[in-house]
Amino acid sequence: MKLVILGIGGMGAISLSKTIAQIAMNKDMSVKSTEIHGMAKKGGLVEIYMKIGEGVSPYIPQGDADFAVVLDELYSEYAVSFLNKNGKLIMLSNNDKYEIVEEFGDAKFANSFILKKFIDKQNIITEDDALSVLKNIKQSEKNIEAFKRGAV
Amino acid sequence: MKLFLSGNEAIAFGLVEAGVRFLSGYPGTPSSEIMPTAVELKKRYGINGYYEWSVNEKSAMEEATAASYANIKSAVAFKQVGLNVAMDPFMNTALTGTPGGLVVVSADDPGPHSSQTEQDSRFLAFFAKIPVMDPSTPQEAYSFAKYALRLSKEFEIPVMIRTTTRISHSREDVDIDLHGFSEKAEPIFRKNTDRFAATPHFRYLLHKELNKKIEKIKQINKPKTYYDGDFLVITSGISFAYLYDIVETYNLQNKIKLLKFYMPYPIDSFGLQKIIDKHKKVLVVEESYPLIEMQIQNRKNVFGRIDKTIPNEGELIVDVLENVFQDLGIVNNTIKTEVVKPPFKRPSLCPGCGHRSAFFAVKKVFGTKAVYTGDIGCYTLGLNLKAVDTVHCMGASVSFAFGFDKAFMLGGNKQTVVATIGDSTFFHSGITPLINAVHNNSSFLLVILDNATVAMTGNQKTPQDVTDSYNNTANAVDIKKVVEGLGVEFVEVMDAYDIENEIELLKRAKQHIQDAKKPAVVILKHPCIYTKEGLETNIKYKKVYVDKDLCTGCKVCIDAFECPSLIFKNGKVEVDKVTCINCGQCVYSCPFDAIGVKQ
Repeated sequence: MKLVILGIGGMGAISLSKTIAQIAMNKDMSVKSTEIHGMAKKGGLVEIYMKIGEGVSPYIPQGDADFAVVLDELYSEYAVSFLNKNGKLIMLSNNDKYEIVEEFGDAKFANSFILKKFIDKQNIITEDDALSVLKNIKQSEKNIEAFKRGAV
Repeated sequence: MKLFLSGNEAIAFGLVEAGVRFLSGYPGTPSSEIMPTAVELKKRYGINGYYEWSVNEKSAMEEATAASYANIKSAVAFKQVGLNVAMDPFMNTALTGTPGGLVVVSADDPGPHSSQTEQDSRFLAFFAKIPVMDPSTPQEAYSFAKYALRLSKEFEIPVMIRTTTRISHSREDVDIDLHGFSEKAEPIFRKNTDRFAATPHFRYLLHKELNKKIEKIKQINKPKTYYDGDFLVITSGISFAYLYDIVETYNLQNKIKLLKFYMPYPIDSFGLQKIIDKHKKVLVVEESYPLIEMQIQNRKNVFGRIDKTIPNEGELIVDVLENVFQDLGIVNNTIKTEVVKPPFKRPSLCPGCGHRSAFFAVKKVFGTKAVYTGDIGCYTLGLNLKAVDTVHCMGASVSFAFGFDKAFMLGGNKQTVVATIGDSTFFHSGITPLINAVHNNSSFLLVILDNATVAMTGNQKTPQDVTDSYNNTANAVDIKKVVEGLGVEFVEVMDAYDIENEIELLKRAKQHIQDAKKPAVVILKHPCIYTKEGLETNIKYKKVYVDKDLCTGCKVCIDAFECPSLIFKNGKVEVDKVTCINCGQCVYSCPFDAIGVKQ
């Protein structure tokens, strides 16, 4: 599976990629990821490519990804450019983001919210696989709550 | 056991497991995670080693060289431009050799993503005549780190590991041993002035020794072959990983033969030529400059960077390689859609950053006419507030200010010069040019933007911290005392958030440089709000708001103060509640008092 995650510096997109990697590794699958986050801390784009169960390099050219998770509407068009013809886009809308800040106090919980939306669109990892990793991360209760809010 | 490690983390695991007991360096993207990983390993396994940041790369290189002279397995890690700073000792360490072993990790940044240059550090290994290893994956970064130290120890020659952003910041499930943590350091220095204090005559002999070492290493450097097609593709490093994936994706297993060098220098050129001569077509693919390619004696049938088959600038990513393969007719022309670029969103200082307040005050006092020399760090983004005109290399804000001032004097140019530098960069290389400014009476203002951390690269500690990387007590070096000690007469310190008093202070500093024709230094402090402590102790109002009735939509706050939390919507300014940290600093920027705070 080829997955692209696009986020904004400080939003926790890299943590999201690590969570997904841990889920895959718990299932004995190979995981490769690459991230570009040079000036990202300053509100710039964070770009993460992940390959699960395939590849030597983690790099994904445009038009090749099975999934694109985008954590800001600004980059939705860019995210679409990575998808292959059957690829699926999972986007965090500005509205979702505001609601999460209102309810959970920090936009970072959007990562768990969007993780659920991603899991529902594929069949390699299950909700239980995700929960078994989420219960061991920081602020796990709130993250699991945000995860459950991601159910459509 | 398998861990999900980045290339940098893998290098640290490899070095520490191989017995490295002295590690030095200076933070810089994409190299910064190597040191903290080694520090963590030391804490976790109680390793008998010294792993700590140095004040700059030159010092780091010299410190590690001495440790290696003392028979300690040693290493340094920094980014490619850091190697430039360390060049002087680096060249010399190649000559004298390294009794304990010494690995030099240099992290290149083709693209570049966060650097001044996209230079290829492997050429500096070639220049110094030392072997260089070029890993293709984090797994290789781990095993090469171990091999590099063994090779260095055996031949008493520094060995470079050249990594790139795509290795350093890629992660994979790396299989690691978790061995070797109990190895003890056994320091001993065997005096030998012909070697360690060599005069030019002995340097010639050391050079001869070095040439012998590199000839021997050349003979053990054997490339590995993958697939058995007619089209020979010679490669190393990250490019190998891309090529392998392309062969598998396009089913080129019968067309391509990959020849991979794990060590792109030194290469046995005669042996390589024999392989090349068996093929009609040869392509060399390597990130970032043509190092293997230039070691090929007869390049008649060789495509690569030299004949411009491969572009000579920019990162060599899969998309670029696919185009090269199409041009060479290896894969069929598929209709490739144009590469989509992400919408440009310029990077900004964080909301609440003290540097923004400092730049705003500086700009109020010195206006648009002054020349602003900037430096390397978060505060390069003073660009957005039009308070940075030049950015060159570490410490150059001070020397550029000196150069501009003296140049302007030659023709009666009365422009004022204002330099801005961060605390860590000041320690790194801002002090030396300030000595020159004091000694030769250069009149400029140096503003030291002191956020008490190396913020840009992940908030590493600076020499003014009261603790080291292990939270043990360290001696804090006081910037004000350093500046006073150099003989600067006007030195004052203020909190950058105190904008009103800051403007008065900067006016006095301006008067001083004009009257005394000497440098003045103003230290504007404010803790980095990107750190937990910085954010927690920062002033926090209940709410920062824009009074819609008073806001004229003039955008002065957005243009002159440039906080990303101020957004323009429907002809008025709004506060973005997702990113605002309620520091209230923007209040000063509004000429109509439309921005207010609730206590």
